[in-house]
Amino acid sequence: MKIFQVALGILAAIGGFVDIGDLVFNVSAGATFGYQLLWVVVIGVVGIVVYSEMCGRVAAVSGKAVFDAVRERVGFKAGLAALISAQVVNLMTLTAEVGGVAICLQLLSGLPYRWLIVIAGVGLLVVVWVTAFEWIERIFGYGGLCLLVFAVAAVKLHPEWGAVGHGFVPHVSAESPLLYTYFAVGLLGAAMTPYEVYFYSSGGVEERWGPKDLGLNRVNAMIGYGLGGFLSFALMITGGALFLERGIEPEFLGSITLGAEVPLGQIGLLLALVGILFAVGGAAIDTLFSGAYNLAQFLGWEWGRYRHPRGAPRFTVTWFVLLVLALGLVLTGVDPVQLTEYAVIFSAVALPLTYIPIFLVANDRTYMREYTNGRLANVLGLLYLVVITIVAVTAIPLLILTNVGQN
Amino acid sequence: MSRPVAALGVLALVLSGCNGGTVDKHALKRDAEKVGSLASEGGLLANDVSKGRSTRYFARVHAQELARAASDLQDALGKRPTSLGITADVRSLSRLAGKVSRELEQLHLHPTNRTVARSLEQPLEEDVDAADKLAK
Repeated sequence: MKIFQVALGILAAIGGFVDIGDLVFNVSAGATFGYQLLWVVVIGVVGIVVYSEMCGRVAAVSGKAVFDAVRERVGFKAGLAALISAQVVNLMTLTAEVGGVAICLQLLSGLPYRWLIVIAGVGLLVVVWVTAFEWIERIFGYGGLCLLVFAVAAVKLHPEWGAVGHGFVPHVSAESPLLYTYFAVGLLGAAMTPYEVYFYSSGGVEERWGPKDLGLNRVNAMIGYGLGGFLSFALMITGGALFLERGIEPEFLGSITLGAEVPLGQIGLLLALVGILFAVGGAAIDTLFSGAYNLAQFLGWEWGRYRHPRGAPRFTVTWFVLLVLALGLVLTGVDPVQLTEYAVIFSAVALPLTYIPIFLVANDRTYMREYTNGRLANVLGLLYLVVITIVAVTAIPLLILTNVGQN
Repeated sequence: MSRPVAALGVLALVLSGCNGGTVDKHALKRDAEKVGSLASEGGLLANDVSKGRSTRYFARVHAQELARAASDLQDALGKRPTSLGITADVRSLSRLAGKVSRELEQLHLHPTNRTVARSLEQPLEEDVDAADKLAK
């Protein structure tokens, strides 16, 4: 198997799974509840693996990406609702990611934040415009692997391993049940954020996957998102081991990197900053393309990141406009970390609108022929539809009742 | 004003945390925890700087972020109306937030000076204890 094909999964994992939402929610959850919410990450990782495999399979068998299939299968009105919710969440996430890139650059260079927002925007534009997508995958995918420094940091902080193990056993906190549930919902929203599957399935179509690539699809989904989940564990353990006892509420991106600096010094700090820069930058590109994919697929335009920008002009204009909008929003002074919390919670609300159509298409013989969901995919898929529906219904009330996680 | 607009206004206030309202005991506890958190995080950073384990730009930028957050709390707690019986504690917390902010500002101005960083560790630790007391 060609190694660069697996890079698609790694990019999706680092740039998509571990984005600013995962960084913020995992470390905050650790700082607030220690290791108690590790089991929620497991549920989120299995969920994204199940649904990524499903929509990768849809892409490979039918040649259709998610929004192509959604519009055809659920009709214009329901498709439009899914599109609007996806685009709103996408823009919020993109804004937070661009702001995150600027903060990382500031922590590395000490230059003024506002200038760095513009530099981040121009940098992303240049990278997307001039760099072949295979290289974007490699640069951001492998750069993001620097985040593994948090795994080393987690070990060096000497967490209580018994408590870590206990965190993988599902349980409910009696101490602050509302706040605990808020974090659980946020962690699920961050792990299963919709743009990941839009990006993943569109990538499959562009790489011209066919039924012979179903094995590659499965490996990509499992290894890629599994790696993302491993990093999430490391982030939460770091938050629990370093911040909980000291009563620190990590409110800044810089707070998260302290998790690597304290146990590992300068090298830990620099690796963490570089890892976050690449992961958040990669996620910014994912969300940028996802927004353009969604609109182009829904409206039946030419689309594709492998095409020259002039070969798919409306697709190109869409991602360009999205980038400009996100830059404008960051320049208003909105706090990317706070915006991330809202983006993750709103993405939790949008989960059913994304995953129900995927489940329906993956069971439709017209599209899938003999490759419809097997029993395991259906049982897990249905189970997750119940979970994400509960998550979607409770997300906004929890956001209000906990005052955005402030209790 | 139409109902949806009013509802959106209420939602916006709720989402913004209603920071302009009266400080009650619960808010005092929350804000004291926040001040303690900023002081504690500043202490970690000061410790790393004192051992040469941080970088100039990171220490400068992050210390400034923490100092600003503490300064914002100082302003808010100094001005907001308070519930009966806790005014002295609220103003005392405001002064404490100001002290934390000034200490972190020192770290921002001298991000590579180990002596300054070392001299800040103890005061920041005391700030954490003081905030803990006010949170109870």
